Amino acid sequence: MDNYDSLDDLGEESLVIQLMIGLLYPFMLLFGFYIIVNGHYTPGGGFQGGSVLATLFVARYVVFPVDDTDSEVLHTIQKIFLAFIVLIPMAVLFTEVIHQLPRWQSAYLTLMDILIGVQVGFGLGVAVLRFAFFQGVGKTWHL
Amino acid sequence: MIEILVLLTMGFFVVMIIHTNQMRLAIVYLAVFSLLAALLYLLYAAPELAIAEGIIGSGIVTLLYLAALKKNRVYTVGVVSIPSRLKVEDHYMYTLEGSEALKDIRDFFVRREVEVQVVFLDIPLERALDNTAYDLILSDDGKQITAHTDEDNYVMVELELMIQMRGFGGSIQFQRTSAGTIPTHGAKKEATE
Repeated sequence: MDNYDSLDDLGEESLVIQLMIGLLYPFMLLFGFYIIVNGHYTPGGGFQGGSVLATLFVARYVVFPVDDTDSEVLHTIQKIFLAFIVLIPMAVLFTEVIHQLPRWQSAYLTLMDILIGVQVGFGLGVAVLRFAFFQGVGKTWHL
Repeated sequence: MIEILVLLTMGFFVVMIIHTNQMRLAIVYLAVFSLLAALLYLLYAAPELAIAEGIIGSGIVTLLYLAALKKNRVYTVGVVSIPSRLKVEDHYMYTLEGSEALKDIRDFFVRREVEVQVVFLDIPLERALDNTAYDLILSDDGKQITAHTDEDNYVMVELELMIQMRGFGGSIQFQRTSAGTIPTHGAKKEATE
């Protein structure tokens, strides 16, 4: 590794992939949140937007394969969002608040889409990171 | 009409995925196949499904396969021409690409499902041997091709065995360098066959 010449070096990342992913990265983020936020009246929604957000993790791994993301933290955040996805509809639907406040229905749907989007994005992202940095035995995670 | 066209194109890409030798190309074909499937869903008035197929099929799965392929080891074969007056030019590359020796080596790696890339080098042999980026160095002195490998590299031992068994032993000569030490051109022991 130490006597690599810059001309002969073949272990480097491809510059084309680096530049294109760097260029597309903010647009992918924007597209993901666009799909999530507009999910209740255009095609798309939480799952589709969350998948776009998960693509960001993979794209970052392809360009910069360093295991500096704590996937335990992502997993915990994902669990908290999953709890909210269960609790908020129970609180809103069982008490029939949503029928008394029809103006807030789209706000409720947007909130649920955002929760599902973040949950799916982090969930798929954790799965991808664990796949990418799995080194056989030794480094294990608690599910 | 356009649905049938898209379906036929998808079938074409499925055949291409199966029949390509390079895994990277197969991944790209798979991504194109997913995009066509997304277009088909759109034509059948299922935009939600089209978005999901487009993102997961050609986004996450493609990048995941690329990430998995990065874990897969790529064998880099460097080719050096010994008389440096032999310039590395297009017709020289075509001649060597068409030679039995290089075809055998490619065939060996394809059978083992290992990606192989052949690089033509414009540097002297000593510098190529010092470089750790190449797993196998072939040197061509106009008449004979010599393969320089590590002593401990069992893949290369297998390659040597296969070439001997197929009867092309005359076309490639093997030269081993002991692993761990930095090889220099003078201090190398010849492997007798």
